[in-house]
Amino acid sequence: MTPYDHLQRRDWGAAFGLLLFVALMTAGYYYNVTFVQLGLIDLGVRLVGMSRAAVSVWMAVLALLTFVVAVGFGVLMDRRGWSTNLRAKLRVLFLVVVVQLALTLAAPTVRTVPAFAAWILAASVALGVGFPASFSLAIDCVPVPDRGPVAAVITAITYGAANAYPVEWSIDAFSRLMVVAMVPGVLVLGLLVSGRVRPVERLLDDLSGRHRRHGTGRFCRESPVETRSVGFLAPVMLMFGVFFVDSLGFLRIIETPALILTAWQSPSMETRLLIAAAHVVGAVVAGVLYVNFDLEWLFLWVFALFSVTYVFYTSDLRLAAWLPASGVGSGSVLNPAFYSLTVSVYTTLNFALWPDLSTAETVGTRTAVGVGMAGWLATFCSTAAALYLDGAAVPLLTHLNLVQALALLLVFGLAVALYARRTVQVARTGREGSP
Amino acid sequence: MTVSTEIIPLLVVVLLLLSASGGDVERMEVVFEGTHPVTAVDDALVVGGGEVTVPAGTTVEGQLYVIGGALVVDGRVRGDVTVLSGTASVTDGAVVTGRLDAVAGGATVADGATVGDLRRVEPTPAGRSPAVRYGFLAAQALALAALTAWLSRRRPRALATVGDSVVNHGLVSGVVGLLAGATLLVLFVYMAFTLILLPVSVLGLAGLVVVLGYSFAVYGYLLGRRLPVERVDAASALGAAVFLLALELLGTVPVLGALVQFALVGVGFGAVLLTYFGLHEFEPARIPE
Repeated sequence: MTPYDHLQRRDWGAAFGLLLFVALMTAGYYYNVTFVQLGLIDLGVRLVGMSRAAVSVWMAVLALLTFVVAVGFGVLMDRRGWSTNLRAKLRVLFLVVVVQLALTLAAPTVRTVPAFAAWILAASVALGVGFPASFSLAIDCVPVPDRGPVAAVITAITYGAANAYPVEWSIDAFSRLMVVAMVPGVLVLGLLVSGRVRPVERLLDDLSGRHRRHGTGRFCRESPVETRSVGFLAPVMLMFGVFFVDSLGFLRIIETPALILTAWQSPSMETRLLIAAAHVVGAVVAGVLYVNFDLEWLFLWVFALFSVTYVFYTSDLRLAAWLPASGVGSGSVLNPAFYSLTVSVYTTLNFALWPDLSTAETVGTRTAVGVGMAGWLATFCSTAAALYLDGAAVPLLTHLNLVQALALLLVFGLAVALYARRTVQVARTGREGSP
Repeated sequence: MTVSTEIIPLLVVVLLLLSASGGDVERMEVVFEGTHPVTAVDDALVVGGGEVTVPAGTTVEGQLYVIGGALVVDGRVRGDVTVLSGTASVTDGAVVTGRLDAVAGGATVADGATVGDLRRVEPTPAGRSPAVRYGFLAAQALALAALTAWLSRRRPRALATVGDSVVNHGLVSGVVGLLAGATLLVLFVYMAFTLILLPVSVLGLAGLVVVLGYSFAVYGYLLGRRLPVERVDAASALGAAVFLLALELLGTVPVLGALVQFALVGVGFGAVLLTYFGLHEFEPARIPE
């Protein structure tokens, strides 16, 4: 079944659900990767006058608080039964978007450290409440077989737009853009939760019962997966590793003008379009891989891609050290393009994975723990590690070498773990079969 | 100054050539910009950009490689000069005691200059006569047909398994093939720069060619099954030759032809990897409705 099949069968409820999920997740993720991740650095450094390290500490606080709030709210959602109540989730999201709109409008006016801290606290609460509420919509809106392709579409649109559409990396530019995008979003969500538009109510009624069919995710169908079991915790730890590797490397890359000005902040439209295209290709690749391979293979792909990405970066830097006159190491657009492809692959996996590791009754907690641990806690830890390395004046090559070693270790470790598991299975089968 | 990425593969080629000739790559010098009169060379000198001159009355000993920029020999070079890109000119009265290999780029030798051995390689097919071009294609087709016939006799099930992946799982085969192919290709090129891994890099590139050849044999087998030839090995061999010819013809169609070639190669490459060379049938993960 593809999204096109829903339209062909005139299943408007399913088509509306997919559209709603893609729109909400795309908007939310775009807000996160642009306004939160890039805009706050500019706000703290340029407008508030803090040091880069101090802003990084506050970003880490944001990540940690978001994680705590998300887990708390996710558990609350499951206990109160909000996870299976579509209208309740939409009402929560409406409130979250209204708060975020207010925060977005207020951000460029922040000038003092206490105001910046208050802003961070409020944003953490909004983000923490928002993402279990939004991720859990998957059980109402996205049939299990569609989750890979839908995740690919969200990733492709988000990163494609973020890279192809030229926005200055400043809080003012991000704020203006986000306000323009959020106002219609608030109106649409307001319409959805108003309860007064009959056709909308019919669509929501249709969607409300779908969690009974779509609620049990792909990886929970054959046997139930407990939150404290290896079946759930192993993907959480692996995804933590993925985000940690990415964040630790990228934090250093964006602080290196030679690397960032020839890639994500390049004045050349062609370069940015190439990076956007790499993101779209990566998302499509991940969408195809997700529906054809089991989870362990997907993680192996991601770690292998990260390893190769950092081999490229470190090889260029080594070459530049060996042949200083060559200028290699700063100019190749292949490295950021490959990096972008890799990021799209794991982002797609992240969007599809957590609902597929949940049931309708556990989706709040699982998505909160999954995205929170992997996304936010990993960011917190990697920021701390990056600050430590920065303080120790570790050179760029050594820093990226460390990230590469970590990626290689993870790909090797995972391969060994899979092989060991298979060996144990074979040994058990042999024992059972022996006389 | 930033050197274009295209120079990296040429540097790898130089590393390979220098290693093969017993040169010391650690002592290799590379020039990327500016004008440089050279009076001495350690072991090898690579001109990657700018202009390097061997002044009149000067003798330099070593290997000279041109992969960009210009080399002007007014004096004497005791060694070989290899031009892979850029230009090299040996002026009136200048001497190159060894070979001057003009593989690509431009090489001019003045009437009054002395060159031990001048070789010009014409790699472009347009430069070849039709007989040579078609002869080369026929030789490739024969070799592929022989490989396909042998495989279809010895490993028909393996070819069928890979073929099944090509036909029934084309999308995932293509994605895996293009992703793995592109990644491995670049990885092997980068491996060459570590010098220590140079042999692994060469082996890896050879491995990619083997996988590609195997996938072409699978296409031949698939085509052969549709040909009105009874014997499987003969049909597969004929199919392989037809496939290679079709691939060559596709190359003459602008843009679309190249895209179809690219897709066919990607799907075949991925199918071979997914099925472990046909030893194991590919089964996509089961996703419940």
